[in-house]
Amino acid sequence: MEALFYIFAFIAIFSALMVISMKNPLTSALYLVLCFFALAGFYVLLDMQFLAVMQILVYAGAIMVLVVLVIMLLNISRLNAVKTDFHQKIIGIIIAIVLFGEIVIYTVNGMTKKPTGIFTHSVINKIGNTQVIGNFLFTKYTLSFEIASILLFVAIIGAYLFAKKKL
Amino acid sequence: MLFWLIAEVIKILIVFAGLLLSAAYLTLLERKIAARIQNRMGPMEAGFHGFLQPIADGIKLFFKEDIIPSEANKFLFILAPILVVIPALTTFAVIPFGAPIKIMGHIVPLQITDVNVGILFILALTSLGVYGVVIGGWASNSKYSLLGGIRTAAQMVSYEIALVLSIVGIIMIAGDLSLSKIVSEQSHIWFVVYQPVGFLLYLIASTAEMNRVPFDIGEAEGEIVAGFHTEYSSMEFAFYFIGEYAQMVVNSAVITTLFLGGWQGPFLPPVIWFLIKVFFVILIYLWLRWTYPRLRYDELMDFGWKFLLPIALANIIVTGFVMVLLKG
Repeated sequence: MEALFYIFAFIAIFSALMVISMKNPLTSALYLVLCFFALAGFYVLLDMQFLAVMQILVYAGAIMVLVVLVIMLLNISRLNAVKTDFHQKIIGIIIAIVLFGEIVIYTVNGMTKKPTGIFTHSVINKIGNTQVIGNFLFTKYTLSFEIASILLFVAIIGAYLFAKKKL
Repeated sequence: MLFWLIAEVIKILIVFAGLLLSAAYLTLLERKIAARIQNRMGPMEAGFHGFLQPIADGIKLFFKEDIIPSEANKFLFILAPILVVIPALTTFAVIPFGAPIKIMGHIVPLQITDVNVGILFILALTSLGVYGVVIGGWASNSKYSLLGGIRTAAQMVSYEIALVLSIVGIIMIAGDLSLSKIVSEQSHIWFVVYQPVGFLLYLIASTAEMNRVPFDIGEAEGEIVAGFHTEYSSMEFAFYFIGEYAQMVVNSAVITTLFLGGWQGPFLPPVIWFLIKVFFVILIYLWLRWTYPRLRYDELMDFGWKFLLPIALANIIVTGFVMVLLKG
């Protein structure tokens, strides 16, 4: 299991680096898909099969297909000259420092925590983690679930309004 | 532990070999059925009634010159056909193809792995099939290939929604995502009786997912030569075909498992029942292909979004209502 974690970690970091260093946008997008697969691997290792499958179904199977489609439609074959200005560099450096600080804080203060409450790993595996997630979404977190769905609905109507100028 | 490992490896080898062999012989079956429908004989020369034709075709494709167009992205060009085959073959890992059998005191389930999110696993892999086609179309550096790739991408994204929603009724009735549980739930009555609309929706949407006639605008011969695989030759071309036919076998197996009771049936051994049902679903796919003409691009999009999708949603709502009424 430990070995698998390191393999997935290596793939995730390698592909994430390739996403930002590739000149060809389509290759970048494909490396991002590979990165999603590595993340799905992590979820499986954490006994979260539902999240792992959703990661592939939604991100790799739907969102990235649209991204690839847009890249193909616009026919951006190569980025030759990348415009960088002074502000971008400053903002980039600040974000990098903040992220690095966060990682240091997490690794220093973080320790392995067992899940609290009645939902231990064995209980979740017995019921099935899809069922546990479903139960929570429709009992304890109904309000936030419904708000999220209304938000998505608003986004759909918004996209429709933008796409169709005359109604 | 060792026994388990050996059993698992043997199962994987059987499924792998079986899928590749059936994909090869499906080409013969398709040509024979097309010939039957069009009142011809079909392949007759190689072997008895053309029985060695797939092997002859395979050898021929293997020795053909491998042409990669100039200015094509070589790596992606070769990667694309492989990306079509891998999801198609991997999907079969979660499909139970027979009742558990007893070998030397161990119970061996005839299923490579029983994932507790089986249906979602199948849907996730189906959604990846589009990459091979799109990347192949893009990497070929040809306008026909690019057109075919873009068309296919738009088509598959639209029909995937109807495909996913058509299965939700099954999940609601079975109350589980694991395919072995779904099969055992159907011991009394097949789910196709409860979900006739879902069955038809899945049949149509999966035909569109496989880019077969009447939904093959991605490779429409009359308009864009051969679409996304215009520039492909030799084994890469063969890989596209293996992928397409393996996908057909896998989709038939999924339909059998979800709607037609899986391996369950009287008298005959379970594996035989499974094979018979898969064979009949494959016949439906072939029959569809040689009966209907190709849809026009806008008709195809209208059909997916304005017809299949609302019916799939209505199917879910009606299923939910009926289930609540019967329970209370």
